Amino acid sequence: MSQTKHTSNLLWGAVALGALGVLGTYAAAGPERFWANWILWFVLLFTLGLGSLFIVALEHLVSAKWSVPVRRIPERLATLLIPAVPIGLIALAAVPVLYPGARPEAAHHPLLAGKAFWLSLPFFSVRTILSLALCLLGLWVLVGGSLKQDATKDPAFNFRARKFAPAFMAIFALVITLIAFDWLSGLTPEWYSDIFGVYVFAGAFLSGLAATALCVLHLQDEGRLEGVKGDHLYNLGGFLFAFTVFWSYIGFAQYMLMWYANLPDEVIWYKVRLAGSWRLITLALAGLHFVLPFFALVTRDSKKDPRRLRRVAFLMLGAHVLDIYWLIFPVLGAGPRFSWPELSFALFFLGGILLWIRGAMQKGEDMPVGDPFLREGLEFRL
Amino acid sequence: MPETSYAVLGVFETPDALMKAIPKVRASKLGTVEAYTPYAIHGIEEALDLRKSPLGGMVLVMGVLGAVTALGFQYWISAIDYPIITGGKGAGSWEAFIPIMFEVTVLFATFTAGLGMLFLLNKLPFFGHPVLSSKSIKGITRDRYVLALEAESEAFDSTAAAKALQAAGAIEVEALPAPDRSPFLTSDNILRALGGIFAACVVAGLAMYFATKWFPLLAPMKYMQDQPRLNAQKASTFFKDGHGMQQPVAGTVARGHLPTATGTQEEAASLVNPLPRTREVFATGRKVYTNRCEVCHGAVGNGVGSLTAAYGAKPANLQAQQFRDYPDGKIYWAIVNGKNSMPSHAPYLSEPERWAVVHYVRALQRAQNAKDEDLKVATR
Amino acid sequence: MKLDAATSAGDIPEGLVEPSLYVGKVTPGSLDDQVLAFPETRPPRQWYFALAITLTAALIGVVSIGYTFYLGIGAWGNSSPVFWAFDIINFVFWVGIGHAGTLISAILFLFRKRWRNAIARFAEAMTIFAVICAVIFPLIHVGRPWLAYWLFPYPNQRALWTNFRSPLLWDVFAVNTYFSVSLMFWYLGLIPDIASMRDRTTSKLRKVIYTVLAMGWRGAATHWQHYEKAYLLLAGLATGLVLSVHSVVSFDFATSVVPGWHMTIFPPYFVAGAIFAGFAMVVMVLVVVRETMQLKNLITMRHLDVMNKVILAMSCIMGYSYMMEGFTAWYSMNEFLHHGFMNIITGTYGWAGWVTISCNILIPQILWFRKARTSYFWMILVAIGVTIGMWFERFVIIVISLHQDFLPSAWRIYKPTMVDFGVLLGTFGIFFTLVLLFARVLPVIATTEVKAILPDAQPSHHGDDHHA
Repeated sequence: MSQTKHTSNLLWGAVALGALGVLGTYAAAGPERFWANWILWFVLLFTLGLGSLFIVALEHLVSAKWSVPVRRIPERLATLLIPAVPIGLIALAAVPVLYPGARPEAAHHPLLAGKAFWLSLPFFSVRTILSLALCLLGLWVLVGGSLKQDATKDPAFNFRARKFAPAFMAIFALVITLIAFDWLSGLTPEWYSDIFGVYVFAGAFLSGLAATALCVLHLQDEGRLEGVKGDHLYNLGGFLFAFTVFWSYIGFAQYMLMWYANLPDEVIWYKVRLAGSWRLITLALAGLHFVLPFFALVTRDSKKDPRRLRRVAFLMLGAHVLDIYWLIFPVLGAGPRFSWPELSFALFFLGGILLWIRGAMQKGEDMPVGDPFLREGLEFRL
Repeated sequence: MPETSYAVLGVFETPDALMKAIPKVRASKLGTVEAYTPYAIHGIEEALDLRKSPLGGMVLVMGVLGAVTALGFQYWISAIDYPIITGGKGAGSWEAFIPIMFEVTVLFATFTAGLGMLFLLNKLPFFGHPVLSSKSIKGITRDRYVLALEAESEAFDSTAAAKALQAAGAIEVEALPAPDRSPFLTSDNILRALGGIFAACVVAGLAMYFATKWFPLLAPMKYMQDQPRLNAQKASTFFKDGHGMQQPVAGTVARGHLPTATGTQEEAASLVNPLPRTREVFATGRKVYTNRCEVCHGAVGNGVGSLTAAYGAKPANLQAQQFRDYPDGKIYWAIVNGKNSMPSHAPYLSEPERWAVVHYVRALQRAQNAKDEDLKVATR
Repeated sequence: MKLDAATSAGDIPEGLVEPSLYVGKVTPGSLDDQVLAFPETRPPRQWYFALAITLTAALIGVVSIGYTFYLGIGAWGNSSPVFWAFDIINFVFWVGIGHAGTLISAILFLFRKRWRNAIARFAEAMTIFAVICAVIFPLIHVGRPWLAYWLFPYPNQRALWTNFRSPLLWDVFAVNTYFSVSLMFWYLGLIPDIASMRDRTTSKLRKVIYTVLAMGWRGAATHWQHYEKAYLLLAGLATGLVLSVHSVVSFDFATSVVPGWHMTIFPPYFVAGAIFAGFAMVVMVLVVVRETMQLKNLITMRHLDVMNKVILAMSCIMGYSYMMEGFTAWYSMNEFLHHGFMNIITGTYGWAGWVTISCNILIPQILWFRKARTSYFWMILVAIGVTIGMWFERFVIIVISLHQDFLPSAWRIYKPTMVDFGVLLGTFGIFFTLVLLFARVLPVIATTEVKAILPDAQPSHHGDDHHA
């Protein structure tokens, strides 16, 4: 259809334009700005992909039936972990630039000397590569198996997935914690917060849910995903609501505990984010990631209303990007930077992500047709 | 036949039978249709065309009210009515108010949901409804599904209603007589209720009075007021002499009044005045001399003070050559230990005060024996 | 995408079909007869025997508390620097145990997990009893318990208000809210069941009591509509409480600067621990209930299997939390944190640290095996282990961190007294006494809720049997 071609061209155009800007950023705005943006989008790709894979694994873990008809979508979204690998490997070049722990001075810093070996580039890279490899393993077992099941209709996959799901959860816990500590809190290695892994998990899960909801609604608009009804949307909306509250709870807990104890080595991380213009970003994050979605989804009807869900899901994805931005960019010093470098990176990566997802959705079946629980899932009623 | 029936009940054996019957019975338009079931039946709300429950909106409003009340109340208390800074946190720190705000929101919302549902929406407790004394009630709370045609007006035809229910598949029908009057809101019951509330208030008040005023004075609670400790200006069984307040142990020295080991006056000659000769020291010395020394030794240190005649003794004339030759230490020794009739001034003069007086005496001596060169120095 | 003949329900292979939630033929009538028989009949001799034991334990507790009132907190082992010991350990322990009940009744309701229906009533009752045991401690651990009402912000002649910036006061509000909400939720769920009892009973006295308690419930569809809405809303609100109450309890520790206490992971870690300990207690009690009350057809092995899976999952989350604590103790490069953590695994109370790790992480791993999850021996072993382990975990957090914090000159050993143990034993006595009384006075299974999920319970056009 020409509509698809038109959108496709638009996206390729965005990618091309973005690419120019990306290259220009390195030359004109400096390596630090370049890498901060690169890491932002790497983390986004990674959390979106891993969060989606978590949704798939969760379904197998608790043997949920209602979500079987929509499971293909997070499976496709999880394939974003594939481009995350080269993006992440390239991002390793940022480590000596932005991560103080990896620089040679760390060996003499009183707080970093003891863990300099952990923060140094070699060990850092090993952890990142290991994490990416484990994600690919999860992808291969859960998503690969599900795609194969479309043709073979062999229930052996369900058995394998149920057995693998707990193992994947352990992998997930390890990987998300490593990525959170290394790539995000590692930017300020003197700072530490043991809930940080849980915080990044909450954001990742939420982004996977929001992207899933958006794709489900988009496919429904195109007339695909027949049989998926308001009851399924209600559950998706319910999860979005519940985990918005969960993310806010984790975020508030971390902030309030550090505020209360008022220890200088912890509070510095927040003071930077509450100073000057960063304060506005922090308030915006609270408003867009918690207040708005909470009140938008609090009523029962709103959770199954396609229009409301679409808007809130969009908002949540945007808020997730803002969250990662808020975590990374204060390391550049000065106020929140937002200009043509950020826009170019956004064009490049968003265009790329959308192209990838669209490509993934065009192939194969829209539902896991080989799953024996598909019928039960389609017949789900609240 | 004109009836005074409240309703006619039709009993069904399965939920399917009930659901199938509902549209038929509603179509007969013989009365209001109500269903009585042992548990909630899915889809019955649409079948009976019930209006949506307003409970969700009520709970949301009350929840928000709870949040605002909690935040406002905490803020008012902590920042306006009695602002105190605790733990270095500013009086109006909103972060600290969030946990309680959350809990109170849930509390308000819960009570609205529970009590609002019971009292406001379902108008329970109500023990006088005719269904409760019907034959079918046992089945209703066990395993039967009942459809009721309730009379809307005097023209209610219970026979036709029973027929309609049977035609729709009821295995039993039962007519419920209308109660004479509302069995619940009688004036007796209202009086009983008011009396009960009054009694409850009285009991609660007495209980609170007892708990807060009497109870702490009973044993063992009052033991805390009666502690075996040392109380000021009271007798004590701890010490042999029964006094609570005791003298300090021999050799106790007040702060700032460490005894200066001065030995004999000859030995004191080697002490050096540690204070510099500044205006402040001079002012201190003059003040102390004026207060303590002038009465005997005189304003110019010549031994003629206001008390000299009355006192009888002959205070030293500090302008005498003997005393002008004294080293500072010997003057200091005299202040600390006293000399002849002069008592020791150590108990009420601190170290610096004593040495300041020494400076002042020296200044007095110089003033009475001034040379020409001193005048040149004085112009500085 | 169109459904084709291949995706029909009959194609689900043997190993993936979930066992039924009840065994044999169960109808609404038979359910009432089976479950409501207990409040209507005299309990067997074993029940009286058990009650005698629990009442003795409770009496020991009452005497210990009375002695504490008489002598003061000096009767306990609390002493500088371990100012909080058994009192707060027990408080956190019991509040934690309560959370399982709310999770089962509220959270699982929201997830539409039908296996919760048979066990929700008992679990919620256990929540209320656990909170009653918990609330004892803040009241008795203050120096002047008769002034405990000062904890509430009421206008007074001293012109004083409570300190809203203290987590201890947040606790007061959180635990009270939790108690009120749980009681409300439990009571509302009981109303239709009490109505059933009202209509079955032949005793005049009981009829009056049940009539009043049932509020005149008559099962009207117009009433059910509001009732179901209220139940859903309460489930949502109670879910918020599951997360918040134990988080507020964790704030008692995490807002301080004591090494080993000030960890941001405490809120979710405590919540996971609470669910963990609570489920263990629920499993233990339900095993006894299903055997002694012949309820095996309603509380099936599937229920126990699923609950054991939850216990296993929570054990893994606890493992993650312990690992994060250990990692942070190193990563922070903070010598105080490091020392605090080393104290848990070596040091005077290192044995307590190992009890905690073994009972909470190592032993529950047996539950990976289906045979263990469906075997009384293993599940009770694990459950007892978890109960002990979770008590010791609070011991580790409180006593180990307090007995050696920043200033070495203030380091001291802590020794509990017999009175401490007496109070702890007493709370178990109170808890199990209430459980025994509940089992004979009120329906232990929410008959109304189970009726709603039996086959043919709902009109057929509304979908198939909801028994998965």
